[in-house]
Amino acid sequence: MTTFSIGALQVDRSGIPVIRGVDLEARGGEISVLLGSNGAGKTTFLESLSGIIPVRSGFINLDGVELAKLRPGARAKAGLSHVEQGRTVFPAMTTEENLKVALHPDADLKEAYDLFPELLQRRNVEAGMLSGGEQQMVVIARSIVNRPRVILIDEMSSGLAPVIVSRLMRAVRQLADDGMAVVLVEQFAALALAIGNRAYVLRRGQIVYDGDCAALAGDPAHLHRLYLGDAAA
Amino acid sequence: MDSLFTAAVAGLSAGGAYAILGVCAIFTYRLVAVVNFTGAAIGAAGTFAMVALFELGMPLLPAVLFGVAAGALAGLAIGLVMTTWFTGSNASTKAAVTAALLVGIIAVGLRLTGGQHPHYFPEIIPGSAFRLAGVEVTWAAVTTLVLSVAFTLLTEQFLARTRTGLQLRALSQRPMAAELIGIRVRLLALGVWAVTGGVTAFALMIIAPLRSPDFASLSLLVVPALAAALIGAFSSFRAALIGGVMIGLIEGGVSAIGPVSQYRGAVPFLVILAVLLWSQRGARWDEAR
Ligand SMILES: Nc1ncnc2c1ncn2[C@@H]1O[C@H](COP(=O)(O)OP(=O)(O)O)[C@@H](O)[C@H]1O
Ligand SMILES: [Mg+2]
Repeated sequence: MTTFSIGALQVDRSGIPVIRGVDLEARGGEISVLLGSNGAGKTTFLESLSGIIPVRSGFINLDGVELAKLRPGARAKAGLSHVEQGRTVFPAMTTEENLKVALHPDADLKEAYDLFPELLQRRNVEAGMLSGGEQQMVVIARSIVNRPRVILIDEMSSGLAPVIVSRLMRAVRQLADDGMAVVLVEQFAALALAIGNRAYVLRRGQIVYDGDCAALAGDPAHLHRLYLGDAAA
Repeated sequence: MDSLFTAAVAGLSAGGAYAILGVCAIFTYRLVAVVNFTGAAIGAAGTFAMVALFELGMPLLPAVLFGVAAGALAGLAIGLVMTTWFTGSNASTKAAVTAALLVGIIAVGLRLTGGQHPHYFPEIIPGSAFRLAGVEVTWAAVTTLVLSVAFTLLTEQFLARTRTGLQLRALSQRPMAAELIGIRVRLLALGVWAVTGGVTAFALMIIAPLRSPDFASLSLLVVPALAAALIGAFSSFRAALIGGVMIGLIEGGVSAIGPVSQYRGAVPFLVILAVLLWSQRGARWDEAR
């Protein structure tokens, strides 16, 4: 079973500490939900895990392999995939090309289309012409074609209609049930907590809650205080 | 009129070479996001490697092959500099870096090749192919034209149909996303630099005998190259192909008109100015409203 563990992680942006000593563990088969208000450092955290920005100190360990010093491509090969914020399709390539470009020559696209059958009829459409929901499906499908062990998903629901969001949430749950370790970053908590296992709340670069999703889902006032800090207490 | 036509045809081989250089410039811009001022200088390095080997007594064909390889290596070296230190920089910084590199390469190149000291540039493709309306068309002109068309079409097909081409397109659209899905972006980028270096070297070898063949003059052929790329809006290979050939023809024609013939080197500059003004017309119109 996959174990993705992060310890004492510190990350700077433009010389300013943004992630200040974060510990987090994500296990295969589980969705770890990472919540936090705008600017808390969620995106910075994920970007440092996948290697887009360097870490200052701390460890990023995937099943015994230390990733913190590796380039993004090497982390991907080690089994880490990252669905970035903002639906990063390759806009001038078709849906199918978007999926194929990520694929090992000896693998196929069956799993991607199994996860999102609705993409089949859009396979020859340029990704830039797809709806927001479809683009998010393409990006998620693209990130799983090589069977990663860990998938980091950043704000996949922003700007999408509720019915699409629950469709995506179901797919993410399926990925976890298939054995992946999912780290799901969301600003809007309810839906994510409903499908998640473990919850973390990040505030100003530090973890201020680490516990059960169900417990947090049942206590919105507590969550509110965690988001805003002492000011709301 | 006849002499104008003759002169224009004489500009054909230069035009073919400009087209190849222009397509290479777009290739570099689209795939590794650099407006590359060192393009022709990289080619010049390869050309002079060929000349040096030839002067040392190596037969022409192997000398040409070594020269192409030297161009590829020179391109690779610039690519290493750009991918090691400037991957995250914005477009204008990268362009400025290549402009600075150009100055450095010309200085070193002039020093190593003996400044204006004349070298003998062998004609790689000598002779006259046929007569067109009484004007001789050389094999050099035919070859550069065929080569430029073939290179343009090949590039398009390569990007559209191969797996590496697909990865290159992904790299050009979203470099970070490409890297995150495990595409070997650095290797691909270095490949682009090496290939354009080798191709540029070969194009310059063909037209070097027609130029004042010192290192600086060859390096400055980047100006017509960028003019051709600009005609293709740094995206259309075919438009750059046509643009490059046209610049060659105009240059040739201008050189036949007595009083202005000394200024034929200004043709690419005028083309650049015209294209830029034309491309800005929309913005002006918007401002004026
Ligand atoms: N490129 C950057 N340079 C400097 N500071 C940044 C940059 N990107 C984000 N930040 C800062 O880092 C903090 C965390 O941002 P981010 O990780 O985007 O938060 P979140 O994803 O939780 O909204 C914010 O204070 C933001 O202003
Ligand atoms: Mg964010």
